[in-house]
Amino acid sequence: MTDILDHNWQISADAVANQVGNETVILHMGNGTYYGLDTIGTALWDGLKAGKTPIEVCDQIAAEYDVDRSTVLSDMREFLNALADQDLVSKSA
Amino acid sequence: MSVPSGYSIADYGDMVDCEPRMSTYAEALKRAVTPDCSVIDIGAGFGIFALLACQYGAGSVVAIETDSSIELLRELAKANGCADRITIVRDLSTSFEPESKADVVISDLRGTMPLFESHIAAIVDARSRLLADGGKLLPMRDILRVALARSPKTYQSAHSPWTSNRFGLDLSAGQRFAVNDSTKVYLKPSALLSPAQDLEVLDYRTIVDPHIDSSVELTADRTNTAHGLLIWFDAEIAEGLTYSNAPDAPSLVYGQMFLPFSKPVRVEPGDTVTARIRARLLDHDYIWSWDCDVNDRTNGEQRLSFRQSTFLRKVVPPAALKSGSNHFVPERSDLMTIDRDCLDLVDNGRSNGEIAEIILDRYADRFSDFQQALDHVSNLLRRY
Repeated sequence: MTDILDHNWQISADAVANQVGNETVILHMGNGTYYGLDTIGTALWDGLKAGKTPIEVCDQIAAEYDVDRSTVLSDMREFLNALADQDLVSKSA
Repeated sequence: MSVPSGYSIADYGDMVDCEPRMSTYAEALKRAVTPDCSVIDIGAGFGIFALLACQYGAGSVVAIETDSSIELLRELAKANGCADRITIVRDLSTSFEPESKADVVISDLRGTMPLFESHIAAIVDARSRLLADGGKLLPMRDILRVALARSPKTYQSAHSPWTSNRFGLDLSAGQRFAVNDSTKVYLKPSALLSPAQDLEVLDYRTIVDPHIDSSVELTADRTNTAHGLLIWFDAEIAEGLTYSNAPDAPSLVYGQMFLPFSKPVRVEPGDTVTARIRARLLDHDYIWSWDCDVNDRTNGEQRLSFRQSTFLRKVVPPAALKSGSNHFVPERSDLMTIDRDCLDLVDNGRSNGEIAEIILDRYADRFSDFQQALDHVSNLLRRY
């Protein structure tokens, strides 16, 4: 099984993200549910939105926030799984 | 069902004067009413349809409205000799329990768009609980229409204050919110840059889903700058009885809805804009999203792509949304304690003034005088 961090991901057409400062609120237009992202979640979301790979996003965050890379990778896996479960992102073809 | 409308009596006067809306409704009601039939008027305002139903021969009419404007109907019903046939219900139609179903249910719960607050839910409920089998539901249906539009004046508020201002301030961060706001407009045919397309048919005889998700392809038919999408509706109140708030029709109280593009788009005849337009009812209000791709006429290549939504028009602090989630654990505040005490003091024969005196005594640090305490009590209890 390949690591989900090895895939490219795209933002769902149903996800509308409203960013204020370092936080983001996402509305899923399909089911009307709101989701909140904190500073790190927002950085991850912005990276995916910009077309970066999860690994690239993790490296950027680890450097920018001076945190352990393995922790960021672990958080990213959890984050991606949660976003995919909620149909907010999907693997790119 | 309608929540307190916020319309003034003068606003309702404008609705009565609004033609051909009013004449079309009146004719539809006249045709639907049979001698001594029963009518329910939902979101009745001051009760114009209820009065007309009586004039046309209805035997009984229930006028349902949450707003205090409905109280005027008591006086008007007497003045028009039909007070004995009209029952006033100041409540939501969804809370109303009828003694029997009505032969005619009439309403106009639209805002600028028919997709407005709880309009669809009210119709679905009325159809199943308030309307007799074979009864007439007015209006019958609305058709939403959409076209490319040019409107520099409307677009100005979404653009110029944020990109340049005479104070030399950088206000650019505000533009991403401003370009996601819908605007009520009254545009004329000269503003249209494409033929209109049907966006959605809202057939009130069958509708269940309050949300829409529709796609259209709009083809520019002249060279100009498109500033956004214009949406209006064609109403069919009863078979063959129609009106419209289209640009080429007389201006109606509804206006039309303008959805701006992120940036103005120069279009040539044959250029196309594919638009996916969604409206989702959330917390009694509609969120509109419009995803648009602008395609070149010569090779079909995508020149621009916009992903916009009225969800993005407001600055939404995440904390504000958290407080509405099912996982949020609220903490007791001083204000909650005061309100709890106020409510506990009800039902013992106390007047608002007596409750205010007790509250003032208990919370002297929160209220400067009796009047302030009384205002707090009366405002709180008015909610119920």
